[in-house]
Amino acid sequence: MSGNTGSYISSCVFVLIAHIGMLLNVFFNGNYDSLTQVIILSGAVVILDVAYFIAMLFFRQTTFTVDFLLILVLNMSVIFQSCFGEVVFDYKHYITCIISLVTCRCGYLLCRNHKWLREQRKFFYIGIFILMVVILTLTGSRGMWISLGPITIQPSEFIKPLFILACATSITEQQKKHKILCFNVVYENIALFGLTAAICLLQWWCRDLGSLPTFVAIYAAGFLLRICYPKAKFSKKKLVGAGAVLAAVAVAGMKFAPAYVQDRLHVDIWADKDGNGYQQSQALIAIANGGWFGKGPGQGDLHNVFAHKNDIVFASISEEWGLLYALMMVLAILIIIALPLINPPRSYFHGTMSAGISAAFTVQMALNIFGSCNLIPFTGVTIPFISTGGSSLMISGFMAGMLVACQSPTMRSPHLNEQIPKRQLYPRRRKA
Amino acid sequence: MKSIKRCQKIISLFIVMFIIGMVILVIKIQREASFYMINSDTLSLGKVYDKNGDVLFDGTGEIDSPAGYLIDVGNLIGDDKGQMGNTLVANNLKKLNNYSFSTGLKESGGKAAIYTTLDHKANRAVYDAFAGNDGCAVAYNYETGAILVCTSLPSLDVTQGYDDIDNFPSGTLLSKTMRKTVPGSTQKVSTLIAALEIMGPNKLFSKRFDCTGSYHNKGGNDIDCHQSYGHGTLDIQGAVENSCNPFFAQLIEDEDMPLNKIKDVYSDLGYALNGADEDYIDINGIKCETASTTLMDPYEFRTQWGCIGQGDTLVSPVQLMMWESAVANENGKMTMPYLIDHITDVNGKEKEKAKTQTSQRLFASDTASTVKEILLTNGQNHYAYSIPGYNIGVKSGTAQVLEGEQENSLLTGFVDDPDLPIAFCVLLENKNSTWITTDSIVKVMLDSLSNDNGNE
Amino acid sequence: MDSTNLILCAVAAACLDICAMVLIISAYHERKTGGKRWNRITSFMELADYNTVYPLGCDEILIGRHASADIRLADLSVSRYHAILTVSDGIWTITDMGSTSGIFVNGIPVSQAQLRENDIIKLGNRQLIFRRRRDINVR
Repeated sequence: MSGNTGSYISSCVFVLIAHIGMLLNVFFNGNYDSLTQVIILSGAVVILDVAYFIAMLFFRQTTFTVDFLLILVLNMSVIFQSCFGEVVFDYKHYITCIISLVTCRCGYLLCRNHKWLREQRKFFYIGIFILMVVILTLTGSRGMWISLGPITIQPSEFIKPLFILACATSITEQQKKHKILCFNVVYENIALFGLTAAICLLQWWCRDLGSLPTFVAIYAAGFLLRICYPKAKFSKKKLVGAGAVLAAVAVAGMKFAPAYVQDRLHVDIWADKDGNGYQQSQALIAIANGGWFGKGPGQGDLHNVFAHKNDIVFASISEEWGLLYALMMVLAILIIIALPLINPPRSYFHGTMSAGISAAFTVQMALNIFGSCNLIPFTGVTIPFISTGGSSLMISGFMAGMLVACQSPTMRSPHLNEQIPKRQLYPRRRKA
Repeated sequence: MKSIKRCQKIISLFIVMFIIGMVILVIKIQREASFYMINSDTLSLGKVYDKNGDVLFDGTGEIDSPAGYLIDVGNLIGDDKGQMGNTLVANNLKKLNNYSFSTGLKESGGKAAIYTTLDHKANRAVYDAFAGNDGCAVAYNYETGAILVCTSLPSLDVTQGYDDIDNFPSGTLLSKTMRKTVPGSTQKVSTLIAALEIMGPNKLFSKRFDCTGSYHNKGGNDIDCHQSYGHGTLDIQGAVENSCNPFFAQLIEDEDMPLNKIKDVYSDLGYALNGADEDYIDINGIKCETASTTLMDPYEFRTQWGCIGQGDTLVSPVQLMMWESAVANENGKMTMPYLIDHITDVNGKEKEKAKTQTSQRLFASDTASTVKEILLTNGQNHYAYSIPGYNIGVKSGTAQVLEGEQENSLLTGFVDDPDLPIAFCVLLENKNSTWITTDSIVKVMLDSLSNDNGNE
Repeated sequence: MDSTNLILCAVAAACLDICAMVLIISAYHERKTGGKRWNRITSFMELADYNTVYPLGCDEILIGRHASADIRLADLSVSRYHAILTVSDGIWTITDMGSTSGIFVNGIPVSQAQLRENDIIKLGNRQLIFRRRRDINVR
């Protein structure tokens, strides 16, 4: 760690205080049979906190705020997940949270040098291709899960960070233009477009429509940053046109969507509250029941509803902890996303990467929260860091690590002995 | 640097859009939370009061009124059991639930309540006046719109549960005041209004038609009069007072009464003509059916009977009463009825105080005054004896239902008294099986309402 | 819902709020260290006109006449996207981006050149000096 001992210590202390405040709430208001579960939970949370604080000392980073927010949110989610219905320590979620912290470190180490990363581009494409083949062949009939004994893996989650990396670009790369017919194009932009189309088709095929908007949002952010800079030939008119085309495609997609999607789009949850609208109507009733301050940890009723730990987790938290607390949890995640605004990335590659990550996180949160509250059609997307689910937590951790990397980059050339020519003259012009 | 700023702008865009979504969500939850709660399995309902503080419904189920005490309002006030859909409680659960987003659901001690405009004492008296016969009665203050009496027989006492539901007589679980029925000669008020709108009073009063007990119309059918010897030559006043069918049949055929103009007036009055889409009159969430009839051809049997009050014509008693308000107010505008005076929320704060609302102008003020005069004269000439002490304008009606097997008696009208501005409609089913008359029910109704009025 | 419950909820929420605030404040703190570190990476360099100073805030900096260029030189002799400055291992390099008038470093026309302290860069009619930052204490 480098410098800023004061802010490091105060951050540690206040993260601990926030967790202890929650644990006190569990202790006094919680619904538990034996005190041991509360003690186990408190011990686990505090130990993980302290362990991560110490582990962070071994990393030389410019900023640690993302890490502190990550441990804050992850341990919050451990406490949330352990309290639904009754206070029972959720081992499985705790372990996935630890894995998530480890992948965060991996993400940081892998992504901190953007120059090195830029040269690995072909591996991103290969990785995405392999994952797509895996989805096509290994997942059950048109599903999105691979089951390996007790563990199920959602391979489409793993595409997300690779896709973000594939979308990221540097200004220099955008200069390498080639002329096709009368258009100056960058080959990679075309390749990326093809990749996006392939991913979208695959998502459509395997009925994972929940993550489709995430990919579209990542691509939209990447596309804007690729096209508009530096040769700003893309006028506002063309942008509006592109938006209109996108909207038309979306409308057409909704019109010709398969029947089960149509059902979701048009269901009136209150007319069908025992059928298709069951989860959402129960979620909304739970939020209404919780009010601003909630019923108390473990006192809710939503744990009887399917997917209360991931798809409608916002409602579960609202019911037990109150809407106010749930909103603040969302705020904490938003601060993670907003940190690149405070600590700006120092290269365009990292900048585009941060934009892609923030697109992925906000769209996922929006789909989950607004979907479960009936503002938009309900899809089975997870809230990053809060919902259970191994793949999603791992990947969210990895993407958080990428954010750390964007803010604490190493600006070293990957090739130590590379010779930059001291001076290169213009090639001699031939006279005709 | 601008390139980095551009990245930051896109990040801010995503965050701002998400925050806007969150704000919309929170506002939506705030506003709709009470609605979500009535869909939950646990409700904590408050009480419904009449205008004098008598409890008409208690959501806690701890009401200690004697069995049958609430039978007169059973199918109007209803309950939350789901057996009756078109009742005050079923349609206003949200207002009655002891819940608000900030306080949560109050299991006990919540103060959510609905204060209705009903006069339970008068309502009960009217219910008793039916002496067990089927029918319904509704009365409201035509100046404010407050419904004072609204009862329908047969009825049930919701505190006694539904164990015996298989043996409930038909019509128990709905308020007949809101249901369409054959209006009989009370329909002639609408035709009278139409004639006045089209011809004006002078021309109409100059018309004379003969009644010989039966009229062979231009379509080749016989329109019978209830007075088989005939009424002789009548003017409009006499025709209304005697409720003479041949007179009205000839009036419809008259060339000064083009059918399309009649249709215009009828649609203004709110009839759904010839199978047009029907609307509902909304009374605090309770749906009241609107009138409908068939008007095809002025010489046709069905159309003529439609204007006389048989055939395809159907009107709900509430709507008949509302037309009386347009007449009694002498402005051609109906006073819209309401049942909820105000409500209190879970903290006891008074909310949603009712306001008097009037409809659009249905017909001209002159028409209203003339109709009022005709009905008042009818009242003085024929009802001064049976309903003494009130200056009332009324129109009676006899409706043949079940293909002529049963006759229903109707009486609709108003009291022309600034201290007792009541418009009413009473329906007595199968009138030939009983000695009770609609006059006697109206008398009881007005007596108890004026008594209550005097006591205040 | 009794008052103790309410108080505890409020306390937990307040803790979280304060924690979030502290973290934001420390992020602003770290922004300073981040800035210092960036200065070290870039060898404390900046570009300057006779009256304007252009800080070098990221590792790819566009120079040109266009509004979206990082360093905007409003002069018709400068191309819209004239040159790009990149940094690697503390060494800044200037590269021509297909400009019409070319780049002159210390009077020599180059398509790409490593920059040293106090080099004079000529883009069209404009001259810029590549120099050490003046606003900080350089040890």
